[in-house]
Amino acid sequence: MAAYPMRRERLDTALLLLPASLFLLVWFVAPLSRLLSLAFVSDNGVFDNFTVLLSSSVYLQVLGNTLMLAALVTVITLLLAWPVAYVLTRLKGPLFVLTLYGVLFPLWISVLVRTFSWMLLLERGGPVNRLLMAAGIVDHPLALLFNETGVLIGMVHVLLPYAILPLYSAMNRIDTRLLMASDGLGAGVMDTFRRVYLPLCLPGLFGGGTFVLLLSLGFFITPALLGGANSMTLSMLISSFVTDRLAWSLAAAGSMVLLVIVLLLLGLTMRLLPMEKGMFAK
Amino acid sequence: MSGQTRQQRKSERQLSGTPIAWRWAAQVGANLVLAFLVLPILAVIPTSFNQASFISLPPTSWSLRWYGNFFADPEWRSSLWVSLQVAVMATAAALALGLPAALGLQRAGALLRPILTGLFLAPMIVPVIISAVAIYRTALDVGLNGTRIGMALSHAALALPFVVINIGVSLRHVDRRWQQAAAGLGAGSWTVFRSITLPNIIPGLVGGGVFAFITSFDEVVVAVFMAGYGAKTLPVKIWESIRLEFTPVVAVAASFMILLAALLFALARLIDARRRQVAGKAAASITTETITDQGVPA
Amino acid sequence: MTGNGLPLRFRGATKHYGTQIALHPIDLDVEAGEFLTLLGPSGSGKTTLLNLIAGYLAPSAGQLFIGDREVTNLPARQRNIGMVFQNYALFPHMTVAENVGYGLAVRRRPKEEIKRRVDAALAMVELAGYGDRAIQQLSGGQQQRVALARALVIEPDVLLMDEPLGALDRQLRRNVQLELRRRHEERRRTTLYVTHDQEEALILSDRVAVMRAGRIEQIGPVTELYRNPVNSFVASFIGESNLLPARLIAQDGIQMRIEVAALRHTLTLPVTAAPMKMGLADMPLQLLLRPEHLVLDDAGPLAARVEEAVYLGELTALRLRLESGADLWLRRLTDRPITRGMELRVNWQPEHVRLVPQS
Repeated sequence: MAAYPMRRERLDTALLLLPASLFLLVWFVAPLSRLLSLAFVSDNGVFDNFTVLLSSSVYLQVLGNTLMLAALVTVITLLLAWPVAYVLTRLKGPLFVLTLYGVLFPLWISVLVRTFSWMLLLERGGPVNRLLMAAGIVDHPLALLFNETGVLIGMVHVLLPYAILPLYSAMNRIDTRLLMASDGLGAGVMDTFRRVYLPLCLPGLFGGGTFVLLLSLGFFITPALLGGANSMTLSMLISSFVTDRLAWSLAAAGSMVLLVIVLLLLGLTMRLLPMEKGMFAK
Repeated sequence: MSGQTRQQRKSERQLSGTPIAWRWAAQVGANLVLAFLVLPILAVIPTSFNQASFISLPPTSWSLRWYGNFFADPEWRSSLWVSLQVAVMATAAALALGLPAALGLQRAGALLRPILTGLFLAPMIVPVIISAVAIYRTALDVGLNGTRIGMALSHAALALPFVVINIGVSLRHVDRRWQQAAAGLGAGSWTVFRSITLPNIIPGLVGGGVFAFITSFDEVVVAVFMAGYGAKTLPVKIWESIRLEFTPVVAVAASFMILLAALLFALARLIDARRRQVAGKAAASITTETITDQGVPA
Repeated sequence: MTGNGLPLRFRGATKHYGTQIALHPIDLDVEAGEFLTLLGPSGSGKTTLLNLIAGYLAPSAGQLFIGDREVTNLPARQRNIGMVFQNYALFPHMTVAENVGYGLAVRRRPKEEIKRRVDAALAMVELAGYGDRAIQQLSGGQQQRVALARALVIEPDVLLMDEPLGALDRQLRRNVQLELRRRHEERRRTTLYVTHDQEEALILSDRVAVMRAGRIEQIGPVTELYRNPVNSFVASFIGESNLLPARLIAQDGIQMRIEVAALRHTLTLPVTAAPMKMGLADMPLQLLLRPEHLVLDDAGPLAARVEEAVYLGELTALRLRLESGADLWLRRLTDRPITRGMELRVNWQPEHVRLVPQS
């Protein structure tokens, strides 16, 4: 067996992988490293930027805000995702396709446009408030914009499909014969749900929840447009460091913090859950 | 339904399983959530037809005034043009880099593959604000900020993961044995690629290209930093206009973006249908593929 | 695990989907403690019938009684049935013990009782000590036994099995079949078994119901189906068969004369060789000669040439070409070597010849 053909194949493979790797190294990895290295640049010592960030009550509040918001958004989207995912498993034919497209299409629209649409809907004189008043639910327009509520609504809207799809995928994989078996063994509906269906949905719930959580942590556009003065998120902070103050080191430190949180969460998830084959398929 | 006995009607329903009430409640809940998902997007389009200078929904009176305004304004026109140019460049780059990368990944050894997969997917995992700030910093250092090339390169980096994933999925359906048979019959590796592999990954290529295009066109965060004065894309102009001058022309721009998204979405679904024909897969597996199709919002 | 289980009566079981009929009205009676197999090709309706009895499908018409209780409109969980599925349907997120004890847990039995009964059930299927294992760690044969234990531990009135051995390899399958039969003879629980494998049906059953296209073609003890099939479908489904077109020439109360073109022969058969006495002249008929009932006989009436000789170890199967051009299979104990091209003479054992309607 000649070693020559093998070497030739390895060379071919390397050549194939080279352009994209080089490109990403130059235009993604290098910039990222450069930025993160700036986090350690300061007049007052290597970790000064971090100290500034993590000891300031203002910045800590931003961090806390971001985490709280992300957690809240995750819980709400998972709750809302549930009926849609379930219905998707039961539909067939054109109704199924229509519903699936209803979930997929919003993902193709820019987050800016989707956020903008909520600005139109949630303002004081806007359709939502008018509907609520007309239905008699409230007697004066609610402040739904430029506060936490608006941000919440906007983010849930943008992130819902990311919760629905993994949950649907997991639910779809549940063998109906398991439910039939549970039924035949005498289990009532609640028992079958609690003991068989729910545990088998957990991977999907977990996957979708993590996905949504990770995305919400980095959200910028939606909180920026829909939020008020006191609902700043970490990404808005980073952006403001750069555009308003040219404080690159602080921006870098903030980025580092965000990245670490994201990677920690990601690592935790991958440990607790074998990644769905589709997610990071080649 | 007449003529059926009560028992016959009952037999049409399943005897065991989830109670009807639950299923009905789930359907109602799902419809509400779906409405929540889809309708707000449609709020944009009526707003663009408003007669007056302020935003109102529904419009006080209907007119095409702001559409005229959009096309008359050189800044809006140029931002549309810039967006198109950047998207085309970014798509071309992403495809040119992504195709060999996907091919190489498939052949890579067990050691290299996870590392490279991590590299190729990194732009998808890193929060976009961080990517934006990092790339902007480097662009400043090399003078590529505010240029369309710089913008296109940045978008190419963001779109690359989706191209690689899309082509990768298509590649998995190319049976090794076809390639081996071709090689056995005397075809060289380029011929094998051209005649066997390539025709079968067209859906992945085109699908990846379509998604790369919309990713670039929709992209906001990186664009806001990289735009400068020379590369203002449509989303950047919208972003500025929302905060500076809030007239219905913004809704016009947003409507165009929705229209483009709808067209490309339809195209992608057609490609999917073709791909299913080619691969002969069952409908349920769409989900797996489409999860990897979609990506992080900008 | 004691008791006989209950008798089962299904009157007029029917199932259709819109205009498509999956089951024509069927009456089925299963005695307490009986092992009845529903045997047939795919699409015959055997699984549909099983699902109706289990309660996973509602019948379009008909009434089902388990013991004295009418269960027609009861959901599966209230019928006290034990079901073993083709792919076992073991709960992947539970251990072996949790799987087996599931039926007891949802019946809210006390923990000690559950543990006791689960241990007994596992011992009975020879998986004692496996309780804490994950089911993914078990082999196919072991999973099959867990599925069985899970169905039996709740002491069902009827045990239902839907091709449960399909996933096992041949040797294991044979062992499990014999084990199931042995267990059944010990416990005598009313059992309804679905399969397409006639050998399996032969080994396991007290009675077999051969099904085709939503009807029961014939039901009875296996020996009866073998010896006196009611039509050519049953004849070919149970055991090996040679079926040759036959024409009825004459018939009285005792005998029938039939002409069989392929044999170039006219036979006289007692009327008991056919499943019925009336109406034979009006239907296409076939002569049934089972390969094991043909003999090589130098003085025999048929001249034949060996087209194929298949060595099966103890037996040899021969495909013989008759003068008429028709082929017959013959099975005999292997003694002298027989090869292609040999010219032989063949006879049949007259007491085993049957006349069956073509179906």
